Formats: sequence, structure tokens, C-alpha cells
Amino acid sequence: MQEISTHNVLLEVRQLCKSYGGIMALNHVNFKLKKNSIMSLIGPNGAGKTTFINVVSGIYSPDSGEVYFQGQNIAGLPAHIIASEGISRTFQLVELFDSLTVLENAMVGCHTRSQSGMIACGFRRPSARSEENRIRDEAIESLAMVGLEKRASDLISRLPLGERKLVGIARALSMQPKLLMLDEPAGGLAAHEIERLVKLIYNLLEMDLTIFIVEHNMPFVMSLSEQVIVLDGGSKIAEGPPDAVKTNQEVIRAYLGMDVY
Amino acid sequence: MTILSQVIQYTISGITSGSIYAIIGICWSLVYLITRVLNFATGEFVMLGGMLTWGFHKAGVGVPVAIMLAITFTVVVALIMERVAIRPVRHHSEMTFMLITIASASVIKGIVLLKWGSETRTIKPFFSTEVINVLGAAITSQVLCVIGLLAIVTIGLSLFLNRTIFGKALRASAINLTAARLVGIDINKFRLFCFGLAGGLGAITGIVITPITFTGYEIGLLAGLKGLVAAIVGGWTMIGTVLAAFAIGLLEGFGAGFISAGLKDVFALLVMILFLIFRTTSLSTWLKKESL
Amino acid sequence: MRQKANLPISWILLIAGLMLLPLFIPSSYVLGVMCFIAIYGVLAIGMGLLLEHAGLFSLAHPSWFGLGAYVAGILAARGIVPPWMGIILGAVVVAFISGVIGAPLLRLRGYYLACATFAVLLIVEITLGQLGSITGGHEGLMGIPPLSIGGFVLKTDVHYYFFSWALCLGCLWFLSNLMDSRIGRAIKSFHNSELASKNMGVNIPKLKLEVFVLTAVMASLAGSILCFYLRFTMPSIFGFPLLVEVLTMVVIGGGKTLYGPLLGSFVTVWLRELIHMYLKGILPVMRAEVDAIFFGMLIIVILIFMPGGLAGGIDQLFSLGRKVFARDLDT
Repeated sequence: MQEISTHNVLLEVRQLCKSYGGIMALNHVNFKLKKNSIMSLIGPNGAGKTTFINVVSGIYSPDSGEVYFQGQNIAGLPAHIIASEGISRTFQLVELFDSLTVLENAMVGCHTRSQSGMIACGFRRPSARSEENRIRDEAIESLAMVGLEKRASDLISRLPLGERKLVGIARALSMQPKLLMLDEPAGGLAAHEIERLVKLIYNLLEMDLTIFIVEHNMPFVMSLSEQVIVLDGGSKIAEGPPDAVKTNQEVIRAYLGMDVY
Repeated sequence: MTILSQVIQYTISGITSGSIYAIIGICWSLVYLITRVLNFATGEFVMLGGMLTWGFHKAGVGVPVAIMLAITFTVVVALIMERVAIRPVRHHSEMTFMLITIASASVIKGIVLLKWGSETRTIKPFFSTEVINVLGAAITSQVLCVIGLLAIVTIGLSLFLNRTIFGKALRASAINLTAARLVGIDINKFRLFCFGLAGGLGAITGIVITPITFTGYEIGLLAGLKGLVAAIVGGWTMIGTVLAAFAIGLLEGFGAGFISAGLKDVFALLVMILFLIFRTTSLSTWLKKESL
Repeated sequence: MRQKANLPISWILLIAGLMLLPLFIPSSYVLGVMCFIAIYGVLAIGMGLLLEHAGLFSLAHPSWFGLGAYVAGILAARGIVPPWMGIILGAVVVAFISGVIGAPLLRLRGYYLACATFAVLLIVEITLGQLGSITGGHEGLMGIPPLSIGGFVLKTDVHYYFFSWALCLGCLWFLSNLMDSRIGRAIKSFHNSELASKNMGVNIPKLKLEVFVLTAVMASLAGSILCFYLRFTMPSIFGFPLLVEVLTMVVIGGGKTLYGPLLGSFVTVWLRELIHMYLKGILPVMRAEVDAIFFGMLIIVILIFMPGGLAGGIDQLFSLGRKVFARDLDT
């Protein structure tokens, strides 16, 4: 695997290309993501934002290009390996495990940080049991971080969308990742829920976390991010601090389909 | 027999069984494409056709009448199955339908076994028992009946699905169920119709093949499964199913002739397994389009 | 739920009940039926796990049962190895075959997996029948000696009763530990959402294969015990009718819980015995047809009217009971 110097660049994407069904979802996308920062990816519908997260997290392999995480090229690796490297994510459609409770969902997040195999678990070896207790405690901590520790034994079906999204974040946090990617975290949320989310993200930054947000909701994105990237039709059309991007003509044209003076 | 006549003989038997599998495969498609139910009792309709004809005939009815009764009865069984076992299901999951159709197949088999025992039966060929000789291989008139049936079914169904309003509506529902409902199509009636049609076609197939391969309570399983293989390999299209069915039939014919008669059934099953495995290793765009 | 260090009450009651049964009902017939319940129970529990918890439509389960019976039976009948080793070798052979077959097949989804495993079921049955010189062909394999372990020969129904229930409860215990652990959660997670499961680090193909092989081995052990109990085996036992029977047990008992199918086995087997006894007076009937009709109808009726099965109903009763008495659930 090629190594490049990392400095404080956690994630570097080079010439990333991905097309399917004849559509170029990602077209030579390039950028760097610094450690302990918040970067957002915005763009009109169909711009390739979710595809991007799917490629980085290993759901898809890119057609060409590289994804360097902590200096190593992870492009094309299977998703579960990328997860154990320290990249975690949430989903636009939440994708919780409906037959598990809230706590159990969070406990699945600890999967990469535990090892007990079939035999150990089946025979209830002491090592498996103590690992299980540790996983439980860590999962409760994750739930506490998003404020849901009281709902630990609830079924997912009982929860409103806002809380379900929080469970998704708790699950991703249980992985104790280095990079957390949030896919449309504010989608479908009410105003007070978005406020809660913003507070949470600021708290997360206090920990040793780097956050990458894919979002539609402009005010949300602009208030939080240090850097913003704009994708349109798979290509990066702008990159910079929120204020610069907001007034970028190309960006405005992409969203509104016309020039605004 | 010389090698040439062996080859011709196996080809003939291959095309014969292929024709049967093709129609059975079409029965699977008819139900699956419209209702998204994989009907594991399809093979039983085939079995019922042959067994009922034999049964009615044994009870004293003339063969042509027995055939009519058998087809009608099988269609009724198919309709009852839809009404009683499929429609009331509230929890529409693939697994539930799979379990229910497997269970229905078991019930049908059990009733036939109870009534008529486990021996194989047969009925007389429709026309004369004369044999046409082709370079040392024999074609019976029944074989021509089978191939003729395939031709009638495929042409008839094509015309029906493409030229009639009802047929077009059926195709529309297969493509987009929700849209079909929205324009007022009654999906229950369609489902009933497809089940009935599958029952009827299956029965006719079973009747036509009985003079050649006999019939018995247990033939439904393998016949049905091979038809399913043809439908899957053929991509659930009519042409594809027919071609795949011929391929399977020929493979079986040559395999049984040159390798081992006892393991004949295994060939078709292996084809299915291998096809399914290799299909999933080919690139993902195929999978993304597939509706299953 | 904090992992308890001891066995819960329900287990203790069950084990006590099973141990006392031969004292109170020393009937050879009843103990024999209970043997079948335990043996088929292992099959049913495994099938329930695959179908409901892992979401794997594997219809080939009875084949592992059959292969376990045949390998152990053939080796023991020929005197090649002592019976107990036949059981172990059967498990090894099944582990190997199921692993080799499972690796490519488990990539298939839903119905396609069902079709492919259905084909496997039939292929195994046909092949067992065709290899007459080794397996005794369609008539079956005879001359299987009784099971003996280190000099102790299991001869009576009581012996097999304890042995088969030991296996059954052992498997149930193992599997319930497994499903309560990180592995169990991983399994349930990929059933619910493969996408999220992958991204949470679950190696799905490997886990599916592990579950598949594990349940196959359990089925194989059960099959081996059956062949030593019956001292006989034949291919038609392990085909479509057995599949329907096991599915009935899963459906009746309810697959959502692990123990449901075992309950289903109990109910199904006893119901069948009762029906046979009842019908003996009316028809000189053969078992197979009545079973086929009976099981089939039972599946249909239960799936339509009581999809959760008996265990589903029991669970609902329990959660109702918990609410009523406000028992303190340790979270």
C-alpha cells in the first residue's frame, strides 16, 4: 500500500471516480480532511454525496482514484475492514437494527473492538462474559453521550425519528472511530432536534474525533463547518470556508439553476 | 444403436423433456411475476393433471372426458389454493409465502397418496402408438404432441399478453404493481387468474407427458424444480425460459444416456446451483436490476 | 440483560422434569416418542435460527441430518470405527461439505438461496439412493450396531432418551448463549440491515458461513443419534417430507425465540401420534400421507392465524404478566 505523509491530514481523496448505470456519480473528486475538524459536503440532489460516503466506508469500490486514511489507501477494501480501521458512519435512512433494543444497537457498534468468537460465546467462557460486560458499559456511555441512556431497553419501533437518528449516532460512536461520517443527520428533524444535534456535534469535537457531514440543510451546515465542499453532478465545484462557498456563483447556479446577482 | 442414432435419440428425448420444463417454467413465471410468490406447488399441478386423468379414467370415464375433468379439477385446486392459502396471508414476506406453498404442495401430495397409493400410473398415448424412425432413433406420436403443445402455449400466451387488453394489463401489473392498482386494476382477480392459468397449463402438461414418462404422487417435486431452474436461468422471460429448458432437457438426455441414468435428475439441479452461484459473482449491475 | 452466572429457573425446571419423567412414566413408547422430539428438536431449533434470526432460507437442513446418519451408520455398520467415533466423523464430514457448499451459496439472497438449497436437498437424497453399494440404496442401510461409548452400550429407550435430550438441551444452551452475545447481535444485525451491519464491522459472509456450518453440525449429530437409535436409515427419511415436518415445528413453535421450535417439535410429534392413534380405528392408514396432509395444513393455518406460533403467544403472555406484576427487569 502506498504511504503518503500524513501531517494532520486524516483523510485524503485523490481523483476519485465512481459511475454506475451509465451515470458518473463521482468525477475526479479531490480534497483533504484535517484531523479534529468538521468538514461538510453539500450539493444538489443526485450530486453524488451518499455515493461518496458509500465509497469511503467500503460499500462500493471506486472505479479509479485513491482514498488515503491515515496514510494508507483504503479504496476498494471491504466495509468491515474499513470499519475496524476507524471509520464509522450514519445513514440517511437511519438503518437501525429493528429486532434489537436501543442498547443492543449501540452494542453492535462495539463489534470491531471485541473478539470473542463462536466457541467462546457459545460456551460462555469467562473471557467472553467479561468482554460482554465491557461492551455493555461502553454502549451505555455512547447512549449517554447522545442523551438516550434512559431509553436503553426500548424497542426501536417506539422511538420517533429524531431519537432514532441519535441511536444511529450512538451506534457509530461505540466504534470509537477516528473519522465519523454523518449522512444527512438533520434530515426530517424538527428545529429543537436540530439544535440538540448541533450541541452534540460540538461535544463530539471535544473528543479526538474528526467529523464529515453530508447534508442538504444549509443553515445547519454553514453554522457548524470549518470547511465546505460542494459537489454537483459528481464533480467538486467549490471548496472553502462557509462564507466563501455561500457566495460562490457556481454553487448558487448549481442549486438554483440560474445566476443570482 | 450407433452413436449417431443415440445422439438423435437423446436429442429427441431432450427436446421432449425440455418442452415440458419450458411450460412448467412459464407457469412459475406467470405466478411469480404478477404476485411475487414463488409457488412451490407448481409441480403438483403437473402431477395432478396426469394422476387425475388416470383416476377418472379408472373410475370408468372415457379418456377425453377424463382429461377435461382433470384439467378443470386442477384449475379449481389452484384457485382454492390462492383463495385459502395465499390471499389471507397478512404478513407478506417471501418466507411466509415460501412456507405456505411448500405446505400446500405437501397437502396435495398427501391427498393424492392417500387416495391412489404410491405406484406409478400411466394413460394411453393420444394417437397411435406407431413409431417414426429417424436414422435409427424413434419418435413416437406423443412426442410430437408435447412439442406441439409447447408451440401452442408459447404462441398463444404471447398473443394473449401482447394483443389483448387483459394481457397487457397483466404485463403492466408485473412491471409496476402499485401503478396498476392506482389505475383500478383488481389485483386479487389477477392473482386468481394467474393461479388458475398456471394450474390449467400445468395440468395439461402433466397429461401430455404421462404416456411417455408415467405419473405418480412424487413426480411433482422434480418436475416443478426443473421448471423453476428453466425460469431462473431464462431470466423469467418466455424466450429465455424455453431456451434454458431445452438446454436442461438436452443436458439431461445426454447425461442420462452417456453417463448415468440414475443421476439424471441431478444434472438439472446442478445446473441451477452453478448458474445461481456464477450469476452472483458476475458484476453487480446485473444484480441491481434484478427484482428478487 | 446482565449475563446471569447461573441457569435461570425455567431451565432448572425443564431439566428436572425431563429427568423425572422416566420415573413417573416408564413407558417405552412414551420415552421413544420423547427421543424423537429431542432429535427433531435439534433440527428444528437450528432451522429456526437460520430462518428467523439469520434470515437464511436454507432448505438443505435435513440433508445434514441425513449425512450425519449415513456417515456414522456406514462406518459403524462396517465396523470401521466404533459408533461414537462415527458420530464425530459424521460431524466432521458434514462440517466440511456444508462449508464447501455454503461458501458460494450463502451469497444468494432470499428465494434464490431457497431454490439452491432445495436442489441440494434433492441431490443429497438422490445420491444417497444411487450409491447402492456404499449406502444400501433406496431400501436403506441396515445392520447398524447400537451406540456404545467406552464400553457402555446404549440399548434401551431410556438410554437414548437421556442421550438425545442431553444433546438437544446442550445445543439449545449453546445457541442461546451465542444469540445473547456479540455474535448473536451481529447475526441479528445482518438480518435487519446488511448495509449497516457491514459498516459496523461485521464480516457478513464469514458469519453466515459459520452459522450455517454450526447448525449443520448440530443436525448431523442429531442424525447420527437417530441412526443408532433406529439401527437403520434410508434416504427417503431425509427428503421433502422431513423438510415439511421441520418447517411445521418451526412455524408452530414460533421462530422468534430459540426454544420455540423445540416446543413446536413437542406439539407436532405428539399431535401426530394422537392423530395416528385416532385414525387407526377409521382407516388402515399409512403414516406418510396423513403426515403430509396434516403438517401442510397446520403450517398454513398457523401462518395465517397465528404467525408468531405458540412461543410467540407465550412470549406475549409473559410480557403481559411482567407488566401486570411490575417485576423488576434488570436492564
